[in-house]
Amino acid sequence: MDWGKTHFFWAEVAQNFTRNATMALTAIGTVAISIIVLGVFLFARTSFNLVLDNVVNKVDIAVYLKDEASASDIDTMMRKLRADKRVDSVRFVSKQEALDTLRKRLAGQVNLGLINVNPLPNSFVVHTGDPTEVPALASDLQTNPNVAFVNYGSKVTDKLLVIRRVLGSIGLGVIILLLVATALIIYNTIRLTVFARQREITIMQLVGATNWTIRWPFVFEGLLTGLTGALVGLLVLWPAYQTLAPKLSLNLPFLPLNLADVSVSRIALELVLVGALVGMLASWLSVSRYLRPA
Amino acid sequence: MITFEEVSLVYPNGVHALSNVNLSVARGEFLFLVGGTGQGKSSVLKCIYREANPTSGDVVVDDWRLSTLPHGQVPFLRRKVGVVFQDFKLLRGKTVWENVAYALQVTGAGSRDVMRRVPRALEMVGIAHKSKMFPHELSGGEQQRTAIARSLVNNPLIMLCDEPTGNLDPETSSEIMALLARINSKGTTMVVATHNQASVDRMRRRVVRLVHGRVAHDEERGRYHVGLG
Repeated sequence: MDWGKTHFFWAEVAQNFTRNATMALTAIGTVAISIIVLGVFLFARTSFNLVLDNVVNKVDIAVYLKDEASASDIDTMMRKLRADKRVDSVRFVSKQEALDTLRKRLAGQVNLGLINVNPLPNSFVVHTGDPTEVPALASDLQTNPNVAFVNYGSKVTDKLLVIRRVLGSIGLGVIILLLVATALIIYNTIRLTVFARQREITIMQLVGATNWTIRWPFVFEGLLTGLTGALVGLLVLWPAYQTLAPKLSLNLPFLPLNLADVSVSRIALELVLVGALVGMLASWLSVSRYLRPA
Repeated sequence: MITFEEVSLVYPNGVHALSNVNLSVARGEFLFLVGGTGQGKSSVLKCIYREANPTSGDVVVDDWRLSTLPHGQVPFLRRKVGVVFQDFKLLRGKTVWENVAYALQVTGAGSRDVMRRVPRALEMVGIAHKSKMFPHELSGGEQQRTAIARSLVNNPLIMLCDEPTGNLDPETSSEIMALLARINSKGTTMVVATHNQASVDRMRRRVVRLVHGRVAHDEERGRYHVGLG
Protein backbone atom coordinates (compact mmCIF):
# COMPACT_ATOMS: atom_id res chain seq x y z
CA MET A 1 0.00 0.00 0.00
CA ASP A 2 1.15 3.50 -0.86
CA TRP A 3 2.51 5.26 2.22
CA GLY A 4 0.84 8.52 1.22
CA LYS A 5 -2.60 6.91 1.17
CA THR A 6 -2.07 5.01 4.43
CA HIS A 7 -0.86 8.13 6.11
CA PHE A 8 -3.86 10.06 4.77
CA PHE A 9 -6.26 7.45 6.15
CA TRP A 10 -4.77 7.41 9.66
CA ALA A 11 -4.41 11.17 9.73
CA GLU A 12 -8.12 11.48 8.83
CA VAL A 13 -9.14 9.10 11.63
CA ALA A 14 -6.89 10.79 14.20
CA GLN A 15 -7.99 14.29 13.16
CA ASN A 16 -11.68 13.49 13.32
CA PHE A 17 -11.19 12.03 16.79
CA THR A 18 -9.20 14.93 18.21
CA ARG A 19 -10.97 17.83 16.47
CA ASN A 20 -14.43 16.50 17.33
CA ALA A 21 -13.32 15.56 20.85
CA THR A 22 -16.57 16.43 22.65
CA MET A 23 -18.63 14.38 20.25
CA ALA A 24 -16.18 11.49 20.36
CA LEU A 25 -16.08 11.51 24.18
CA THR A 26 -19.89 11.63 24.43
CA ALA A 27 -20.16 8.65 22.12
CA ILE A 28 -17.50 6.72 24.03
CA GLY A 29 -19.25 7.51 27.34
CA THR A 30 -22.61 6.31 26.03
CA VAL A 31 -21.08 3.11 24.72
CA ALA A 32 -19.31 2.59 28.07
CA ILE A 33 -22.54 2.96 30.07
CA SER A 34 -24.43 0.60 27.76
CA ILE A 35 -21.63 -1.93 28.03
CA ILE A 36 -21.62 -1.69 31.85
CA VAL A 37 -25.36 -2.45 32.04
CA LEU A 38 -25.00 -5.30 29.58
CA GLY A 39 -21.97 -6.62 31.47
CA VAL A 40 -23.79 -6.71 34.81
CA PHE A 41 -26.66 -8.65 33.27
CA LEU A 42 -24.37 -11.06 31.42
CA PHE A 43 -22.59 -11.77 34.70
CA ALA A 44 -25.87 -12.23 36.58
CA ARG A 45 -27.21 -14.59 33.95
CA THR A 46 -24.04 -16.68 33.78
CA SER A 47 -23.94 -17.00 37.58
CA PHE A 48 -27.63 -17.83 37.74
CA ASN A 49 -27.27 -20.54 35.10
CA LEU A 50 -24.34 -22.00 36.99
CA VAL A 51 -26.44 -22.17 40.17
CA LEU A 52 -29.26 -23.96 38.34
CA ASP A 53 -26.79 -26.32 36.66
CA ASN A 54 -25.16 -27.14 39.97
CA VAL A 55 -28.52 -28.02 41.51
CA VAL A 56 -29.66 -30.13 38.58
CA ASN A 57 -26.28 -31.80 38.19
CA LYS A 58 -26.58 -33.33 41.64
CA VAL A 59 -29.25 -35.72 40.30
CA ASP A 60 -28.09 -39.37 40.16
CA ILE A 61 -29.88 -42.51 39.01
CA ALA A 62 -29.90 -45.40 41.47
CA VAL A 63 -30.29 -48.72 39.61
CA TYR A 64 -31.20 -51.56 42.02
CA LEU A 65 -30.41 -55.03 40.71
CA LYS A 66 -32.27 -58.30 41.23
CA ASP A 67 -30.51 -60.80 43.53
CA GLU A 68 -30.57 -63.32 40.65
CA ALA A 69 -28.19 -61.16 38.59
CA SER A 70 -24.89 -63.03 38.34
CA ALA A 71 -21.44 -61.49 38.59
CA SER A 72 -21.06 -61.74 34.81
CA ASP A 73 -24.49 -60.06 34.28
CA ILE A 74 -23.33 -57.24 36.51
CA ASP A 75 -20.06 -57.03 34.62
CA THR A 76 -21.83 -56.89 31.26
CA MET A 77 -24.16 -54.13 32.51
CA MET A 78 -21.27 -52.15 33.86
CA ARG A 79 -19.50 -52.30 30.49
CA LYS A 80 -22.68 -51.34 28.64
CA LEU A 81 -23.24 -48.37 30.92
CA ARG A 82 -19.66 -47.20 30.52
CA ALA A 83 -20.03 -47.41 26.73
CA ASP A 84 -23.24 -45.33 26.82
CA LYS A 85 -22.51 -41.82 25.62
CA ARG A 86 -25.08 -40.28 27.95
CA VAL A 87 -23.31 -41.69 31.02
CA ASP A 88 -20.69 -39.58 32.70
CA SER A 89 -19.76 -41.95 35.56
CA VAL A 90 -20.96 -45.29 36.96
CA ARG A 91 -20.23 -46.69 40.39
CA PHE A 92 -21.10 -50.20 41.47
CA VAL A 93 -22.38 -50.46 45.06
CA SER A 94 -22.35 -54.06 46.30
CA LYS A 95 -24.85 -55.44 48.83
CA GLN A 96 -22.10 -55.45 51.44
CA GLU A 97 -21.05 -51.84 50.75
CA ALA A 98 -24.69 -50.73 50.94
CA LEU A 99 -25.09 -52.47 54.30
CA ASP A 100 -21.87 -50.94 55.62
CA THR A 101 -23.05 -47.50 54.59
CA LEU A 102 -26.42 -48.08 56.25
CA ARG A 103 -24.71 -49.33 59.41
CA LYS A 104 -22.59 -46.21 59.58
CA ARG A 105 -25.55 -43.98 58.98
CA LEU A 106 -27.71 -45.62 61.66
CA ALA A 107 -24.89 -46.18 64.14
CA GLY A 108 -26.15 -45.57 67.68
CA GLN A 109 -29.77 -45.50 66.60
CA VAL A 110 -30.51 -49.02 65.45
CA ASN A 111 -28.39 -52.08 66.15
CA LEU A 112 -28.10 -53.77 62.78
CA GLY A 113 -25.86 -56.45 64.29
CA LEU A 114 -29.07 -58.35 64.96
CA ILE A 115 -29.65 -58.86 61.24
CA ASN A 116 -28.05 -61.98 59.83
CA VAL A 117 -29.23 -61.64 56.28
CA ASN A 118 -28.37 -58.67 54.06
CA PRO A 119 -31.70 -57.48 52.55
CA LEU A 120 -30.13 -54.75 50.46
CA PRO A 121 -29.66 -55.25 46.71
CA ASN A 122 -26.57 -54.66 44.56
CA SER A 123 -26.87 -51.36 42.73
CA PHE A 124 -25.31 -48.90 40.28
CA VAL A 125 -25.14 -45.18 40.88
CA VAL A 126 -25.22 -43.58 37.43
CA HIS A 127 -24.42 -39.94 36.75
CA THR A 128 -25.25 -38.45 33.35
CA GLY A 129 -23.26 -35.78 31.60
CA ASP A 130 -26.43 -33.86 30.75
CA PRO A 131 -29.13 -33.91 33.44
CA THR A 132 -31.89 -33.73 30.81
CA GLU A 133 -30.90 -37.27 29.75
CA VAL A 134 -31.83 -38.65 33.20
CA PRO A 135 -35.51 -39.56 32.61
CA ALA A 136 -34.86 -41.30 29.26
CA LEU A 137 -31.84 -43.22 30.55
CA ALA A 138 -33.77 -44.27 33.67
CA SER A 139 -36.64 -45.70 31.64
CA ASP A 140 -34.16 -47.53 29.35
CA LEU A 141 -32.51 -49.14 32.37
CA GLN A 142 -35.90 -50.14 33.78
CA THR A 143 -36.39 -52.52 30.80
CA ASN A 144 -33.24 -54.50 31.63
CA PRO A 145 -34.31 -57.95 33.01
CA ASN A 146 -31.63 -57.79 35.72
CA VAL A 147 -32.95 -54.54 37.12
CA ALA A 148 -35.39 -54.63 40.02
CA PHE A 149 -36.20 -50.91 39.96
CA VAL A 150 -34.74 -47.53 39.10
CA ASN A 151 -34.98 -44.39 41.23
CA TYR A 152 -33.98 -40.84 40.37
CA GLY A 153 -36.46 -38.87 42.46
CA SER A 154 -38.44 -38.43 39.26
CA LYS A 155 -40.98 -35.89 40.52
CA VAL A 156 -38.39 -33.49 41.94
CA THR A 157 -35.99 -33.95 39.06
CA ASP A 158 -38.63 -33.42 36.37
CA LYS A 159 -39.72 -30.19 38.08
CA LEU A 160 -36.14 -29.00 38.46
CA LEU A 161 -35.51 -29.59 34.78
CA VAL A 162 -38.64 -27.61 33.81
CA ILE A 163 -37.70 -24.75 36.16
CA ARG A 164 -34.21 -24.64 34.71
CA ARG A 165 -35.54 -24.59 31.17
CA VAL A 166 -38.06 -21.81 31.84
CA LEU A 167 -35.67 -19.63 33.84
CA GLY A 168 -32.94 -20.25 31.27
CA SER A 169 -35.22 -19.06 28.45
CA ILE A 170 -36.31 -15.98 30.42
CA GLY A 171 -32.66 -15.14 31.08
CA LEU A 172 -31.82 -15.55 27.41
CA GLY A 173 -34.79 -13.36 26.46
CA VAL A 174 -33.69 -10.61 28.84
CA ILE A 175 -30.15 -10.74 27.49
CA ILE A 176 -31.35 -10.58 23.88
CA LEU A 177 -33.59 -7.59 24.69
CA LEU A 178 -30.74 -5.88 26.46
CA LEU A 179 -28.38 -6.63 23.60
CA VAL A 180 -30.84 -5.07 21.14
CA ALA A 181 -31.25 -2.04 23.42
CA THR A 182 -27.47 -1.65 23.75
CA ALA A 183 -27.04 -1.94 19.99
CA LEU A 184 -29.75 0.68 19.37
CA ILE A 185 -28.27 3.12 21.88
CA ILE A 186 -24.79 2.80 20.38
CA TYR A 187 -26.21 3.00 16.85
CA ASN A 188 -28.12 6.19 17.63
CA THR A 189 -25.16 7.86 19.31
CA ILE A 190 -22.87 7.15 16.38
CA ARG A 191 -25.58 8.16 13.93
CA LEU A 192 -25.63 11.56 15.63
CA THR A 193 -21.87 11.95 15.28
CA VAL A 194 -22.17 11.17 11.58
CA PHE A 195 -25.19 13.46 11.20
CA ALA A 196 -23.18 16.31 12.71
CA ARG A 197 -20.70 15.84 9.89
CA GLN A 198 -23.22 15.58 7.06
CA ARG A 199 -21.86 18.83 5.61
CA GLU A 200 -18.38 17.35 5.56
CA ILE A 201 -19.62 14.32 3.65
CA THR A 202 -21.28 16.58 1.05
CA ILE A 203 -18.02 18.48 0.60
CA MET A 204 -16.04 15.26 0.28
CA GLN A 205 -18.41 14.18 -2.49
CA LEU A 206 -18.02 17.55 -4.18
CA VAL A 207 -14.26 17.32 -4.40
CA GLY A 208 -14.53 13.88 -5.98
CA ALA A 209 -14.04 11.49 -3.08
CA THR A 210 -15.35 8.01 -3.90
CA ASN A 211 -17.87 6.49 -1.50
CA TRP A 212 -15.21 4.17 -0.11
CA THR A 213 -12.76 6.99 0.54
CA ILE A 214 -15.47 8.72 2.56
CA ARG A 215 -16.76 5.60 4.26
CA TRP A 216 -13.57 3.94 5.54
CA PRO A 217 -12.43 6.55 8.06
CA PHE A 218 -15.98 6.73 9.46
CA VAL A 219 -16.25 2.96 9.77
CA PHE A 220 -12.89 2.79 11.47
CA GLU A 221 -13.85 5.60 13.84
CA GLY A 222 -17.04 3.71 14.72
CA LEU A 223 -14.93 0.67 15.48
CA LEU A 224 -12.57 2.74 17.65
CA THR A 225 -15.46 4.44 19.47
CA GLY A 226 -17.12 1.08 20.19
CA LEU A 227 -13.87 -0.52 21.24
CA THR A 228 -12.78 2.36 23.47
CA GLY A 229 -16.27 2.60 25.01
CA ALA A 230 -16.26 -1.11 25.79
CA LEU A 231 -12.77 -0.91 27.31
CA VAL A 232 -13.80 2.06 29.48
CA GLY A 233 -16.85 0.03 30.56
CA LEU A 234 -14.58 -2.88 31.50
CA LEU A 235 -12.33 -0.51 33.45
CA VAL A 236 -15.37 0.24 35.63
CA LEU A 237 -16.69 -3.34 35.74
CA TRP A 238 -13.41 -5.03 36.67
CA PRO A 239 -12.74 -3.30 40.02
CA ALA A 240 -16.45 -3.55 40.83
CA TYR A 241 -16.29 -7.29 40.25
CA GLN A 242 -13.09 -7.64 42.31
CA THR A 243 -14.69 -5.80 45.24
CA LEU A 244 -18.22 -7.17 45.13
CA ALA A 245 -17.76 -10.81 44.07
CA PRO A 246 -16.18 -12.04 47.37
CA LYS A 247 -18.97 -10.30 49.30
CA LEU A 248 -21.56 -12.01 47.13
CA SER A 249 -20.25 -15.48 48.03
CA LEU A 250 -19.97 -14.47 51.67
CA ASN A 251 -23.51 -13.12 51.94
CA LEU A 252 -25.20 -15.90 49.99
CA PRO A 253 -23.40 -19.01 51.29
CA PHE A 254 -26.42 -21.24 50.60
CA LEU A 255 -26.12 -20.64 46.85
CA PRO A 256 -24.32 -23.51 45.17
CA LEU A 257 -22.19 -21.05 43.19
CA ASN A 258 -18.46 -21.14 42.76
CA LEU A 259 -17.51 -17.75 41.34
CA ALA A 260 -14.31 -19.22 39.97
CA ASP A 261 -16.54 -21.09 37.51
CA VAL A 262 -17.93 -17.83 36.07
CA SER A 263 -15.79 -17.12 33.04
CA VAL A 264 -15.29 -13.38 33.55
CA SER A 265 -12.72 -13.15 30.77
CA ARG A 266 -15.22 -14.63 28.33
CA ILE A 267 -17.86 -12.08 29.34
CA ALA A 268 -15.25 -9.33 28.93
CA LEU A 269 -14.41 -10.58 25.46
CA GLU A 270 -18.09 -10.69 24.52
CA LEU A 271 -18.58 -7.11 25.72
CA VAL A 272 -15.60 -5.84 23.73
CA LEU A 273 -16.85 -7.65 20.64
CA VAL A 274 -20.35 -6.20 21.03
CA GLY A 275 -18.95 -2.67 21.42
CA ALA A 276 -16.57 -2.92 18.46
CA LEU A 277 -18.96 -4.63 16.06
CA VAL A 278 -21.97 -2.44 16.83
CA GLY A 279 -19.79 0.69 16.61
CA MET A 280 -18.46 -0.33 13.23
CA LEU A 281 -21.84 -1.39 11.81
CA ALA A 282 -23.55 1.74 13.13
CA SER A 283 -21.03 3.97 11.36
CA TRP A 284 -21.30 1.96 8.18
CA LEU A 285 -25.10 2.23 8.09
CA SER A 286 -25.14 5.90 9.09
CA VAL A 287 -22.64 7.00 6.43
CA SER A 288 -24.26 4.89 3.74
CA ARG A 289 -27.48 6.88 4.21
CA TYR A 290 -25.66 9.96 2.95
CA LEU A 291 -23.87 8.21 0.11
CA ARG A 292 -26.92 7.30 -1.94
CA PRO A 293 -26.85 8.30 -5.61
CA ALA A 294 -27.93 11.89 -6.30
CA MET B 1 -16.22 21.24 -23.58
CA ILE B 2 -19.79 21.52 -22.23
CA THR B 3 -22.90 20.86 -24.30
CA PHE B 4 -26.52 21.03 -23.15
CA GLU B 5 -28.85 19.17 -25.53
CA GLU B 6 -32.52 20.06 -24.97
CA VAL B 7 -32.06 19.81 -21.22
CA SER B 8 -35.16 20.00 -18.99
CA LEU B 9 -35.00 19.57 -15.24
CA VAL B 10 -37.97 19.10 -12.93
CA TYR B 11 -37.13 18.70 -9.23
CA PRO B 12 -38.92 16.01 -7.18
CA ASN B 13 -41.03 18.78 -5.56
CA GLY B 14 -42.46 19.63 -8.99
CA VAL B 15 -40.48 22.83 -9.62
CA HIS B 16 -39.57 23.24 -13.30
CA ALA B 17 -35.97 24.46 -13.07
CA LEU B 18 -34.86 24.18 -16.68
CA SER B 19 -36.83 23.92 -19.93
CA ASN B 20 -35.24 22.80 -23.19
CA VAL B 21 -31.88 24.44 -22.55
CA ASN B 22 -29.41 24.26 -25.43
CA LEU B 23 -25.99 25.63 -24.64
CA SER B 24 -22.47 25.05 -25.80
CA VAL B 25 -19.31 26.22 -24.04
CA ALA B 26 -15.99 25.89 -25.83
CA ARG B 27 -12.74 24.76 -24.24
CA GLY B 28 -11.06 27.67 -22.45
CA GLU B 29 -14.12 29.93 -22.68
CA PHE B 30 -15.24 32.31 -19.88
CA LEU B 31 -19.03 32.42 -19.47
CA PHE B 32 -21.21 34.47 -17.15
CA LEU B 33 -24.63 33.07 -16.27
CA VAL B 34 -26.94 35.89 -15.19
CA GLY B 35 -30.59 36.13 -14.25
CA GLY B 36 -32.75 36.66 -11.18
CA THR B 37 -33.02 34.30 -8.25
CA GLY B 38 -34.75 31.04 -9.17
CA GLN B 39 -34.27 31.45 -12.92
CA GLY B 40 -32.09 28.33 -13.23
CA LYS B 41 -28.46 29.47 -12.91
CA SER B 42 -27.57 27.04 -10.12
CA SER B 43 -29.50 24.27 -11.84
CA VAL B 44 -27.34 24.64 -14.96
CA LEU B 45 -24.22 24.28 -12.80
CA LYS B 46 -25.69 21.32 -10.89
CA CYS B 47 -26.32 19.51 -14.17
CA ILE B 48 -22.66 19.94 -15.12
CA TYR B 49 -21.21 18.41 -11.93
CA ARG B 50 -24.01 15.83 -11.80
CA GLU B 51 -25.58 17.02 -8.58
CA ALA B 52 -28.83 17.06 -10.55
CA ASN B 53 -29.85 14.70 -13.32
CA PRO B 54 -31.85 16.18 -16.25
CA THR B 55 -35.40 14.91 -16.54
CA SER B 56 -34.94 14.90 -20.31
CA GLY B 57 -32.17 15.83 -22.71
CA ASP B 58 -28.49 15.26 -22.06
CA VAL B 59 -25.37 17.06 -20.88
CA VAL B 60 -21.97 16.24 -22.36
CA VAL B 61 -18.88 17.31 -20.41
CA ASP B 62 -15.57 16.71 -22.21
CA ASP B 63 -16.06 13.06 -23.22
CA TRP B 64 -18.62 12.19 -20.55
CA ARG B 65 -22.25 11.80 -21.58
CA LEU B 66 -23.78 12.41 -18.16
CA SER B 67 -27.15 10.68 -18.66
CA THR B 68 -25.37 7.34 -18.99
CA LEU B 69 -22.56 8.03 -16.51
CA PRO B 70 -22.65 5.31 -13.82
CA HIS B 71 -22.95 6.61 -10.25
CA GLY B 72 -19.55 5.15 -9.41
CA GLN B 73 -17.94 7.38 -12.07
CA VAL B 74 -19.32 10.66 -10.67
CA PRO B 75 -16.32 11.22 -8.32
CA PHE B 76 -14.00 11.00 -11.33
CA LEU B 77 -16.06 13.59 -13.24
CA ARG B 78 -15.90 15.89 -10.20
CA ARG B 79 -12.12 15.70 -10.08
CA LYS B 80 -12.13 17.35 -13.51
CA VAL B 81 -14.86 19.87 -12.63
CA GLY B 82 -13.97 22.22 -9.77
CA VAL B 83 -16.90 23.89 -8.02
CA VAL B 84 -16.81 27.12 -5.98
CA PHE B 85 -19.78 28.27 -3.89
CA GLN B 86 -21.05 31.47 -2.33
CA ASP B 87 -20.72 29.87 1.15
CA PHE B 88 -17.24 28.48 0.34
CA LYS B 89 -18.05 24.98 1.72
CA LEU B 90 -14.72 24.53 3.45
CA LEU B 91 -14.12 21.78 6.00
CA ARG B 92 -14.18 23.64 9.30
CA GLY B 93 -11.97 21.15 11.13
CA LYS B 94 -9.14 21.46 8.61
CA THR B 95 -6.59 24.18 8.00
CA VAL B 96 -6.26 25.99 4.67
CA TRP B 97 -3.47 23.63 3.65
CA GLU B 98 -5.48 20.56 4.70
CA ASN B 99 -8.61 21.73 2.91
CA VAL B 100 -6.71 22.07 -0.35
CA ALA B 101 -4.66 18.91 0.18
CA TYR B 102 -7.83 16.97 0.91
CA ALA B 103 -9.15 17.38 -2.64
CA LEU B 104 -5.89 15.90 -3.86
CA GLN B 105 -5.62 13.15 -1.28
CA VAL B 106 -9.07 11.72 -1.99
CA THR B 107 -7.90 11.06 -5.54
CA GLY B 108 -5.20 8.82 -4.09
CA ALA B 109 -2.35 11.25 -4.76
CA GLY B 110 0.91 10.37 -3.03
CA SER B 111 2.44 12.65 -0.40
CA ARG B 112 5.15 13.89 -2.79
CA ASP B 113 2.47 15.02 -5.23
CA VAL B 114 0.60 16.75 -2.41
CA MET B 115 3.73 18.55 -1.22
CA ARG B 116 4.38 19.78 -4.75
CA ARG B 117 0.90 20.81 -5.89
CA VAL B 118 -0.72 22.30 -2.77
CA PRO B 119 1.79 25.18 -2.36
CA ARG B 120 1.47 25.96 -6.06
CA ALA B 121 -2.33 26.25 -5.80
CA LEU B 122 -2.08 28.33 -2.61
CA GLU B 123 0.36 30.71 -4.23
CA MET B 124 -1.76 30.99 -7.35
CA VAL B 125 -4.69 32.31 -5.28
CA GLY B 126 -2.44 34.32 -2.95
CA ILE B 127 -3.23 32.59 0.34
CA ALA B 128 0.05 30.70 0.94
CA HIS B 129 0.93 32.82 3.99
CA LYS B 130 -2.23 31.67 5.81
CA SER B 131 -1.91 27.97 5.08
CA LYS B 132 -1.91 26.97 8.75
CA MET B 133 -5.07 28.87 9.65
CA PHE B 134 -8.55 27.43 10.04
CA PRO B 135 -11.44 28.78 7.92
CA HIS B 136 -13.05 30.65 10.84
CA GLU B 137 -9.83 32.62 11.26
CA LEU B 138 -10.02 33.96 7.70
CA SER B 139 -11.96 36.77 6.02
CA GLY B 140 -14.63 35.95 3.45
CA GLY B 141 -12.31 36.75 0.57
CA GLU B 142 -9.57 34.55 2.02
CA GLN B 143 -12.02 31.70 2.50
CA GLN B 144 -13.11 32.04 -1.11
CA ARG B 145 -9.47 32.03 -2.24
CA THR B 146 -9.01 28.79 -0.28
CA ALA B 147 -12.08 27.27 -1.94
CA ILE B 148 -10.74 28.31 -5.36
CA ALA B 149 -7.35 26.78 -4.55
CA ARG B 150 -9.11 23.57 -3.56
CA SER B 151 -10.95 23.32 -6.86
CA LEU B 152 -7.78 24.29 -8.71
CA VAL B 153 -5.41 21.77 -7.16
CA ASN B 154 -6.66 18.87 -9.31
CA ASN B 155 -5.99 20.83 -12.53
CA PRO B 156 -9.68 20.82 -13.51
CA LEU B 157 -10.79 21.19 -17.10
CA ILE B 158 -13.71 23.28 -15.95
CA MET B 159 -14.40 25.53 -12.99
CA LEU B 160 -18.00 26.24 -11.98
CA CYS B 161 -18.61 29.19 -9.66
CA ASP B 162 -22.01 29.69 -8.04
CA GLU B 163 -22.25 33.32 -6.86
CA PRO B 164 -18.57 33.32 -5.90
CA THR B 165 -18.71 36.95 -4.77
CA GLY B 166 -22.20 36.86 -3.21
CA ASN B 167 -20.86 37.23 0.33
CA LEU B 168 -18.00 39.61 -0.41
CA ASP B 169 -17.52 43.37 -0.46
CA PRO B 170 -17.09 45.06 -3.90
CA GLU B 171 -13.32 45.38 -3.67
CA THR B 172 -12.76 41.76 -2.65
CA SER B 173 -15.30 40.73 -5.31
CA SER B 174 -13.26 42.34 -8.08
CA GLU B 175 -10.10 40.66 -6.77
CA ILE B 176 -11.80 37.28 -6.84
CA MET B 177 -13.15 37.90 -10.37
CA ALA B 178 -9.67 38.93 -11.50
CA LEU B 179 -8.32 35.71 -9.99
CA LEU B 180 -10.93 33.67 -11.90
CA ALA B 181 -9.93 35.48 -15.13
CA ARG B 182 -6.30 34.66 -14.47
CA ILE B 183 -7.10 30.97 -13.94
CA ASN B 184 -9.16 31.04 -17.16
CA SER B 185 -6.25 32.56 -19.06
CA LYS B 186 -4.23 29.44 -18.25
CA GLY B 187 -6.78 27.30 -20.09
CA THR B 188 -9.45 26.34 -17.56
CA THR B 189 -13.00 26.68 -18.91
CA MET B 190 -14.90 28.97 -16.54
CA VAL B 191 -18.67 29.17 -15.93
CA VAL B 192 -19.65 31.81 -13.38
CA ALA B 193 -23.21 32.33 -12.16
CA THR B 194 -23.37 35.82 -10.68
CA HIS B 195 -25.30 38.93 -9.69
CA ASN B 196 -22.13 40.98 -9.71
CA GLN B 197 -23.08 43.57 -12.31
CA ALA B 198 -19.88 45.62 -12.00
CA SER B 199 -17.58 42.71 -12.77
CA VAL B 200 -19.70 41.45 -15.67
CA ASP B 201 -19.79 44.89 -17.24
CA ARG B 202 -16.08 45.47 -16.73
CA MET B 203 -14.88 42.08 -17.99
CA ARG B 204 -17.03 41.95 -21.16
CA ARG B 205 -17.12 38.17 -21.54
CA ARG B 206 -19.84 35.95 -22.98
CA VAL B 207 -23.07 36.48 -21.02
CA VAL B 208 -26.01 34.04 -20.98
CA ARG B 209 -29.25 35.26 -19.39
CA LEU B 210 -31.66 32.66 -18.00
CA VAL B 211 -35.34 33.48 -17.58
CA HIS B 212 -37.77 30.88 -16.21
CA GLY B 213 -35.29 28.12 -16.89
CA ARG B 214 -34.77 29.05 -20.54
CA VAL B 215 -31.85 30.70 -22.31
CA ALA B 216 -33.30 34.17 -22.98
CA HIS B 217 -30.13 35.78 -24.34
CA ASP B 218 -26.64 34.70 -25.25
CA GLU B 219 -24.11 37.35 -26.25
CA GLU B 220 -20.36 37.43 -26.80
CA ARG B 221 -18.69 40.29 -24.89
CA GLY B 222 -22.02 41.00 -23.23
CA ARG B 223 -23.10 43.21 -20.34
CA TYR B 224 -25.05 42.36 -17.21
CA HIS B 225 -28.32 43.76 -18.47
CA VAL B 226 -28.17 41.88 -21.76
CA GLY B 227 -31.67 40.96 -22.92
CA LEU B 228 -33.38 43.31 -20.51
CA GLY B 229 -33.77 46.09 -23.05
